[in-house]
Parts: sequence; structure tokens; C-alpha cells
Amino acid sequence: MKTRPRETGISRRSWLLAGLTAPLFSAFAADPMKVTFDGDNLHVAAPTLHFLAGKPLERLKYGDVVAYVAQLELLNDARTTVVRPQKGRFVISYALWEEKFSVTQLGPTPATPPRTVEGLSLAAAETWCFENLTMSTAGLAADVYYWLRLELRTGTARDFADEQKIGVSFRDLVEFFGRKNTEITHWGPLETRVRLADLPRMAGRGSRLG
Amino acid sequence: MKYSWLGCLLVGNLLFAGTQDSELNVNKRYTVDTVIVSGKGWKTNIADQQIERMSTGLRKDLLALIGQKLNTGVLDGLAARLKKEFTARDVTHQVFRGDIPDHVRVEFEIRPARFGIDATVTKFLYDSKEGWNGAGSLGFTVQHNSFAFGLASDGDTLNERFAGMAARYENKHLGTDRLGLRFQIESYHQQWNQSTLDALAAPHPQTSDPYRERQNFQPTATITLAKPLTLEVGVAFQRFQNQYPAAHIEAANALVSALRYHHRMPDAEYQQDLDADYTLRAATKVLGSDFVYTSHTAGLRYRVAHGKHQLMEQVTAGTVSGQAPLVDRFVAGNSYYLRGWNKYDIDPIGGNRLMHNTVEYRYGPFQAFYDAGSVWDNGQPATARHSVGVGFKESIFSLAVAFPIRSGHVEPIIMIGMIY
Repeated sequence: MKTRPRETGISRRSWLLAGLTAPLFSAFAADPMKVTFDGDNLHVAAPTLHFLAGKPLERLKYGDVVAYVAQLELLNDARTTVVRPQKGRFVISYALWEEKFSVTQLGPTPATPPRTVEGLSLAAAETWCFENLTMSTAGLAADVYYWLRLELRTGTARDFADEQKIGVSFRDLVEFFGRKNTEITHWGPLETRVRLADLPRMAGRGSRLG
Repeated sequence: MKYSWLGCLLVGNLLFAGTQDSELNVNKRYTVDTVIVSGKGWKTNIADQQIERMSTGLRKDLLALIGQKLNTGVLDGLAARLKKEFTARDVTHQVFRGDIPDHVRVEFEIRPARFGIDATVTKFLYDSKEGWNGAGSLGFTVQHNSFAFGLASDGDTLNERFAGMAARYENKHLGTDRLGLRFQIESYHQQWNQSTLDALAAPHPQTSDPYRERQNFQPTATITLAKPLTLEVGVAFQRFQNQYPAAHIEAANALVSALRYHHRMPDAEYQQDLDADYTLRAATKVLGSDFVYTSHTAGLRYRVAHGKHQLMEQVTAGTVSGQAPLVDRFVAGNSYYLRGWNKYDIDPIGGNRLMHNTVEYRYGPFQAFYDAGSVWDNGQPATARHSVGVGFKESIFSLAVAFPIRSGHVEPIIMIGMIY
């Protein structure tokens, strides 16, 4: 008796499942970055972007410090012009005995005192960095569409040149300044289209834009 | 004026660089309790053991980390110094939890260079009696494999002046750091002093005839028995092309073994080094040797240094039984033993017994030494000889004037050169 060759076509059930899950995937893919607005500043969250991982995390676990540079850019709707750039610089270390992370955010200018928080879990350290990466909305039109782009990478000596110039408290800020073999790791870019008027407002903050 | 400001800034930064703690590393709160240095196939706790190629100053600075709060900036500086001293491709440092809470262990890992070229001058010496002597080699290293090719013209070391080439292959890590392998090939042409030829004209049952060519092939294995004790074992196949009474070839094939020990005693104020070695060379008919002899040589060297002061004491003794070729007999009156004496005055064909002692004092680059010893043949009386000398030695450069102590006239020997 001849056996029927096995059918390799896609079943109706598979098509149905794919049809149902595709919008879910696209929803996740389309929204890797969440943007909120407190009336004065834009706040970002990137729950899928884990920068405390891989080689940088390995270095932290060996008692090293790792510097990160986050670049937040607001572009026009055509994505041809950067309307507003914002840089955030973070230096992270990991307490070997407490097994907790310490994060220091450097100010935009060398004169601005840094902010340090200790005793964070891995997830809390990542969240803290994004929570403190804000962009002022002063002068921006509320009803215009923009693109918000987030990029993150490990830092280089050039990123901390200003702190080196002032010499003292940040001289050995990032130990890898002189290390030739330190690789730069990149994350992103993550992009999302935003209009200030549409953004969810953070609780407890008024809006100056109305 | 602007240069003054620049200078002040530079000095300020340098001062700061040496003292500033790493501000942003949360681990700065922990105390260093252990420092480990490791390389390919080896790992050493710096507090327990001296690493052979490491300078005293660097070891002292590594030891100084222990008991201090962690400063990763200082670790970077030490890693750079390790890289320089070990000519390494890279040196990284990692910090781990220590054995007790709030203490950490620092580990430096040295990654050896994949490829390196060295040009080495092993001897460059002018002796007012023997003239110019030089030896050098050019080599390269790939992973653990070193290849070297050298040329030499040396009238100082032996009773012969030998000139020719040498080639060497060496692997210091044959699967493990405890085992190394070396192949050495040498080919030299000889010139003889007339007094040696005159001495050889008489019956000389204890040594060979003069030869005009000498070749040596010597494979050896080095085994680290227990650091810092090493054993070298191998075979030396020597071939001599003689001229008299008719052209013919003779061989001296021998088992060779050497036991070496080096120990540096850790003391911050007084640095002490102890070296001991014993060499056995046994030529036998089993290996097809025309000469049958056994040679034993033992040496002990002690050095103590305190600031600019250094005192060295070295004693060497050797004995040969049987008939050894001229190359394997002991010679004194060269730049190693009984400096200041003319070796042809002592014994133009060397001896089969050696006893020698050197005491040397150095203050900075200035040196003064006293040599005492004797080379003689078994059955003959040993004549003790003495010499004194003064000199200047800075790094490898050396200038010395040595005087034999004897009744009658004084004829100093001047030695200038680079001795490694």
C-alpha cells in the first residue's frame, strides 16, 4: 500500500495563531521606549534595553568601573534635523561584598556636582539611569510630531575630557581611559514618534505648556 | 611664564595621580588582603614567592597594596609596570572577594607577547692581553618558541680563541611551565696561543690535541622540580677536527645535567639573593665518544644589597676525571676567574681541578673585588693565586683594572666592555 506523502503546508490553525500574535509582536517592537512627560521634561524608559549585561557587566563583577554615555535626541518629523540633543553620563560600579550597584551621574558641566546612589539591584540601576535622563521641553511646540531617539554606549576618554581638564576629583573617573583593549559596546538606537500633547502625564506634576 | 604654569599643572597632576583614590568605584571601601600575579600556566601569590623576572621595586609596590584600601587607579599603574617588565602583550587586573568580609583579592594577569624580536649582545669586552671579544645574537619569539642565531669571537673564556656561529631553539613551556626544551648548535673555528701549542707538544694524557674546528649539538630539557629549583638534562655531541699529527675527527659525546637554584629573600631593607648550581658532564663510549671523562662543577653565590651598597661572595669548585678535550677543562685568568692574571701564565692548557672564590663590594657604580683561586691538574700541587681590582660598573657597562698579587713586577690587566 502506498503511503501518502506527508503534507508540509501550513495549517489553518497556524495561520490563525500567527494572525493573533503578529499584532502583539508589532506592539512590542513598535514601543521599545516609553516616553512620559511631567509638564517640563520628557522622561524615557527602555524596559527591553539591558546595558548591565555582557562584557561591561563582567568588568563590573571584577571590581572595575564602567562609564556609559546615553544620547537622547529629539528630531523633526522627517528625522532630518536634530531639534534638541541631550547627553547623560553615568559611571557604574559593583560592590563585591554587598552585591549591589552604585551609579554616579555626572553633571552636564564639570562645575555641576555629580549625583551618586548606592545599593541598587541590577534592574534598579538600569532604571535609575533612564529615570535621570530627561530632556527639557522648553520652547517645543505641543502639537508637533517629533521623533525621540535613544542611544547608549560605554564611554571613552573623550566623553570625560572636561572632567580630566579640571583634574582632581575625576582624574581616574573611568579606569579604562588609558586601556587600549576596552571595547566600546553600543545599544540602540531606539526611536519613537512623539507629540507632547499626546504624551501621558506623570502624576503630581502640572503642565506649563497647558 | 606660560611654561611655568604648564609645569605646575603637570607636576600637580602627577602628584595627584599618585595619591588620588578612585572616587567613583564603590569597592574603594574594601581592604586588599591578597595580591596574585599570573601568567600563562603559572600563578603566584606575591606575598609568598618572588617572581623571577620581577624587579624588587615592583614587587615592593605590589606588596604595599596589601592592607590598603582598594585604589583601582594604582592598580592601573602597576599593571602598566608589569607589562613593561614582562614585555607582555597586555596586563589586566581583576578584583575578587577576599577570604574575610570587606577584604578583596587583586589578581593581575599577564598575557605574553605573541611575537617578539630581540637583539642581544652577550659579551663585548676588551682585555689588554686578549684584545677584543664579542658575542651577540638575534632572535625572535613566537608564542612559547624562541629562535636565536648568534655570532661570537671570544679569546677570553677558554684557552682557545673561538670564532663562529651558534643557533638555538627553545620552548620554555612544553605543555606546562615546568618543562622546557632547547636545541643548540654551535660551530667554531679555533686559534691557539703559541704557549698552548708548546704545552701540547709535550705528552698530555689528560686532554686532547689542538683542534681547528669544533661543533656542538646539544638538546636539553629543563624541568622545574620545585620552584625555584630546576634540573636540566640532555646530551652534548661535540665533534673536533684535528690537524695533528694528521687531519682526523674526534668526538666528545656526553650526558649533561645541571641543577640550579635561585632564591631571593624578601626583605624590604636588605635584599639578599642566593644562587647555587651543580653541573655534571659525563662522556661515555656508550654515546660513541672518543673521550671518556666526568666533570663536576659546583657554584654558590650570595649577594646582599642595602641602598647603594652591595656585597657579593661567589665560590666555584670543579673537578674532571678522565681525558677531557681542551674545551671542557677549567681556565682561570680570564674575566670570570682570577681577573688580572694571564691565563697562559697560570696554565696554557687549563687544568682538571678548579677552586675559586670572589668577594666583590659595590657602592653605586664603583666596584672593588678580590679573587683567589687555583687551577691545577690532578696529582700536581695546587698553587693559590690572588688578584685585586677596582672598577666602574653601570648596568651592563664595565671598566675594571685588575692586578695579580705576586712577588716581583706588577702587570695590571685592563678590561673594558659590556658583560651580561
